[in-house]
Amino acid sequence: MIAKKHMPHYMMVLPFMLLFAVFFLYPIASGFFYSFHDWNATTTTRFVGLDNYTRIIGSRDFKKAMWNLATYIVITVPLGILVAFCLALLVDSFKGTWSNIFRSAFFMPVVLPAFLAATVWRWIYTPNFGLLNMVLGWFGLPSLNFLNDTGSMLYALIAVDVWVSAGFNMVIILAGLKNIPTDVYEAARLDGASPLQQVRYVTVPMLYPVLFFVTTYGVISALQVFDVPWLLTGSSFASYGGRSNALMFPVMDMMGRGFGSLKFGQASAYGFILTAIIVLFTAAMFVFRKKGYDQ
Amino acid sequence: MGAARRLAGSSFLALALIAGTANAQTPVTLQYWVYSDFAQGEALKLQQEFIAEFEAAHPGVKISISGKGDDDLTTGQVTGAASGNLPDVFMNGLAAGAQLVEAGALDNIYSKWMAMPQDYRDQFDKSAIASCMPKPDTMYCLPYTGFGEILFRNLTVLQDAGIDTANPPKDWAEWLDQMKKVKAAGKFAMPDQTQVFNSVASTYATVGPDSDWGIDFATKKTLVKPESYAKALQLFVDMAPLTSGTSRNDQATKDLFITNQLAFHVVGPWVDPTYKQAATDSGLKYDFVLVPAAKEGDHGGVKSYEILSVAPGKNADIAWQFASYVAEKKQMLRWAKLLSRYNGNAAAMADPEVTSLPLVAKSVEAVKYALEVQPPYFVGAYPNCYKSIVTDNAAAVADGDMTPDEGAKDLIEQLNDCIASN
Repeated sequence: MIAKKHMPHYMMVLPFMLLFAVFFLYPIASGFFYSFHDWNATTTTRFVGLDNYTRIIGSRDFKKAMWNLATYIVITVPLGILVAFCLALLVDSFKGTWSNIFRSAFFMPVVLPAFLAATVWRWIYTPNFGLLNMVLGWFGLPSLNFLNDTGSMLYALIAVDVWVSAGFNMVIILAGLKNIPTDVYEAARLDGASPLQQVRYVTVPMLYPVLFFVTTYGVISALQVFDVPWLLTGSSFASYGGRSNALMFPVMDMMGRGFGSLKFGQASAYGFILTAIIVLFTAAMFVFRKKGYDQ
Repeated sequence: MGAARRLAGSSFLALALIAGTANAQTPVTLQYWVYSDFAQGEALKLQQEFIAEFEAAHPGVKISISGKGDDDLTTGQVTGAASGNLPDVFMNGLAAGAQLVEAGALDNIYSKWMAMPQDYRDQFDKSAIASCMPKPDTMYCLPYTGFGEILFRNLTVLQDAGIDTANPPKDWAEWLDQMKKVKAAGKFAMPDQTQVFNSVASTYATVGPDSDWGIDFATKKTLVKPESYAKALQLFVDMAPLTSGTSRNDQATKDLFITNQLAFHVVGPWVDPTYKQAATDSGLKYDFVLVPAAKEGDHGGVKSYEILSVAPGKNADIAWQFASYVAEKKQMLRWAKLLSRYNGNAAAMADPEVTSLPLVAKSVEAVKYALEVQPPYFVGAYPNCYKSIVTDNAAAVADGDMTPDEGAKDLIEQLNDCIASN
């Protein structure tokens, strides 16, 4: 009786559910199946149990990619949010046309295609006569090969990513700033709070949900980093990650195993390992957030 | 003259054969995938001419051409093989051959090749054909365009450094001496040859024998030998203070050359249009010569080919007819004249209309000496770690982290580990 009553509703969601099953659930299920098989996309599959998972976790490239990723996240996410927060405060302090000009200017890198951003930065980082090396030269410092020196490659990438992502985070934080009632600031000023204290004791606490969102979004995006390091190192499926794999990241390693080496079973397993890591990270952040609220 | 007549006769015979079999052709649309730069501008117009000619001779056959980037070509062909939706005729690089064989993307065209008239088969460069035949009775490709690396020289930079440009450097010692003079004059001598696998191979070709390069897939060991490779690594050490720090493929390298800041650029002929344009626009003075080797009379550099292959399946026969038509002398001659580019049709390359083109003539000569980049083809795919180990090792030795002898020993151990773990 209840099923009959809700039949029109089921029929209405059916088209979506069908498409969802075909284009979302089926690929996930088949990927899970292949992650336990040796498969090069054309030959028949051979069951290998957990071999794909153990091979990946034991491989040198995976360890390198994970180390790079951890370093990258630990620096990029806080730095990116800090820069975005400062930019948002700056833009918020302007009114009218100037506010619009600055907001658009800082948002510009977000709408640039990744290849264009990477090309611009490859120029900036060019050894000997790139923009950055010209500046170093003015101070009598030696030229650096930012994209081929293993000591600087990761930081060169972080600079690009912060530059690209700051505008997006700035707009979200700016929206949060606009929602903070001005009377709270007035009360703080009356209590003798300095501008820095207003930021510390009013702005940051009031922005807590927004900062949580940009942090979560930043971490999830960072876990999937691929295009900018790929482009900065001029990678292809046959060769990627730059010198000594200094810019090797998990998604890159997964793509290389799939399309470079035709190990689609391993690539599928890699995808599930990455998914598990992303889910764990996100869950941990929600737990920390809940604890923060509870306290 | 007699040879030319025989060639023309055989071409006509081949075309007649193709046309004859085509009369009974049921309507079909062939998907033809080419490199993206072959699907734009003048190159596309010429491809469309080939297609129109073939379609006119084969009523019912339509050909749809698509341009793809390097990775897209291979990815599309591999996934196409997996889904049973391969393009019928496609280009790729020789180096991707083994991967495509593994994916089942390539038809064995040996019997079709052998069914062609002898004069048709004789048109092609023998070593290029050998690259397409990994074992008896097996053939996976027709050689198409290709390259042998040449040395582009910026004459202004060299003359400013007091170097006589009338004669190219006769050997490595003289070449290195010129590089040092260029550096002393405040300019860059070379791009950083350690950054790209092909430029490492190219530098190795200056001193090492061809037999000590590549992988023995039977024993799963690298063919690199410590003695010969240590000599190559010494070249990177010698060049290290003289380089621009940019790789040979960087746009910055071309810009340095065009703006008279870089003396030498070892690369394929595809940069020539850019340099030719710069000669017109900004007065760039340059030429191209064979890459010097350790000994006078020998030459370095690497070579490779783009290939034309056919997918297995119901359209394989007509797809082969189209591929063999496109790779035939008449078409390859037009191709070479249009782009001034070397290709694997030796008869076309020997045609007076082409031998008078300096870039093609130099490329033909360069190919004779050059090293195959990733031999053997269609046998085993080079593991991804292989190339990065080679470039990382060269860079580490150039930076002084290891001596050339230590570097060569370390490289071989790492390469064998990489091959074994793949």
